[in-house]
Amino acid sequence: MKTEISFILNGSEVKVSVDGHLRLIDVLRNRMSLTGTKEGCGKGECGACTVIVDGRAVNSCLYLAHEIEGKSVTTIEGLQMPGHKLSMIQQAFVDNGAIQCGFCTPGMIMSAKALLDSNPNPSDEEIRDALQGNLCRCTGYVQIVEAVKRVAEQLKSKQ
Amino acid sequence: MRRFDYLRPKSLKEALQLKKNIAGAKYISGGTDLIIQIKNRELQPPALISLRSIPELATIEINGGARIGALATISDIIQHRELGHNYPVLIEAAKRLGSVQIRNVATVGGNLCNCSPSADMALPLLVLEAKVRLQAAKTSREIPLSEFFKGPGESCLSSDEILTDILLDPPRQNAKATFLKKGRVKMDLALASLALLLEIEGGRCRKARIAAGSVAPIPLRLSKVETLLEGGAISKDLISKAQQLATKIVSPITDVRATEKYRRQIIGVYMKRGLEKVLG
Repeated sequence: MKTEISFILNGSEVKVSVDGHLRLIDVLRNRMSLTGTKEGCGKGECGACTVIVDGRAVNSCLYLAHEIEGKSVTTIEGLQMPGHKLSMIQQAFVDNGAIQCGFCTPGMIMSAKALLDSNPNPSDEEIRDALQGNLCRCTGYVQIVEAVKRVAEQLKSKQ
Repeated sequence: MRRFDYLRPKSLKEALQLKKNIAGAKYISGGTDLIIQIKNRELQPPALISLRSIPELATIEINGGARIGALATISDIIQHRELGHNYPVLIEAAKRLGSVQIRNVATVGGNLCNCSPSADMALPLLVLEAKVRLQAAKTSREIPLSEFFKGPGESCLSSDEILTDILLDPPRQNAKATFLKKGRVKMDLALASLALLLEIEGGRCRKARIAAGSVAPIPLRLSKVETLLEGGAISKDLISKAQQLATKIVSPITDVRATEKYRRQIIGVYMKRGLEKVLG
């Protein structure tokens, strides 16, 4: 049974007709062609599918598409700055060697963004807590935590 | 994933009616457990009835005591200042449930209705002697949470009922509580967990409430240890007796996460640590 849902996707209103059993990640990747959001485990363990819904990080593999009705979704594609420039968080991940294979990176960055949006000056522990639901099998997290700290410092100096 | 219809009723009445009309339909709240069960084909419902569009189910009210709507997310609970101030043990446990992404979606009612022996929210609610309200089309009943769980995945909720609220008595002045959890990593399911509440008056333990997770078919109140502790001053000797008794009365299993022996041992250690922490 298809139903039309409408929501805000990366700042623009979209309408799409979807079956009841489809998940948010299915709609993002297969219907909206936004393949930056990755499916890793599909069970909410790895966080590769993390997107932001109404300001909160969620696993898009465990979020049924119909629940997105009327809400606002930000994916990794939504972070791109005018002129195809990277956002501050993305650039910090590049500069700090926080990326190796890159599969976990979009989810990792979305979790970091949700944290920094609500807490622009997090402690190391708060960063690690916020990224606990995001697995990286390459880098070992040190550079990732560093990257998030660098962004926090940049945000501080901008104030 | 196998196909199913997805329905989003706007009122409790509509939700109860839909469930009656569609054989085999299931309610869904946060879905962080349910969707995995459907993916694993443990469940194959023809339809899911979402409770997330029923506004009154998601509210938290402080009224001397507290009324927590079953659809309040774990993050809603963590962020509720007054709730945290009045019942800190609830927040201690909520912060140990899953990852941020899970906590942002998973609900307290879902955590209870999933009836996992490891349910993190069950333990603080058990020691706070929470009641749950179960609503059917024409009737409503309130029962102590300690009578809600019947076995892994089983509760006393009948198919025509919805768990709508969790009710807490006003916080007691002399009560202190804590929550301890052992997981492989912080966000893991509990290998073993323990919540403990003591009311101390004039050096005597007036009331003890203890609940253990992942060591029995249900989140379990350790009534025998409670009785042992109540009445007198809690000496070192009594703590060690409580520790021994706790390891004896639990009935853990061995599985991929931990052995039975290890789980028993953890409960003993947590009994001691928890008592020492609360007694300060």
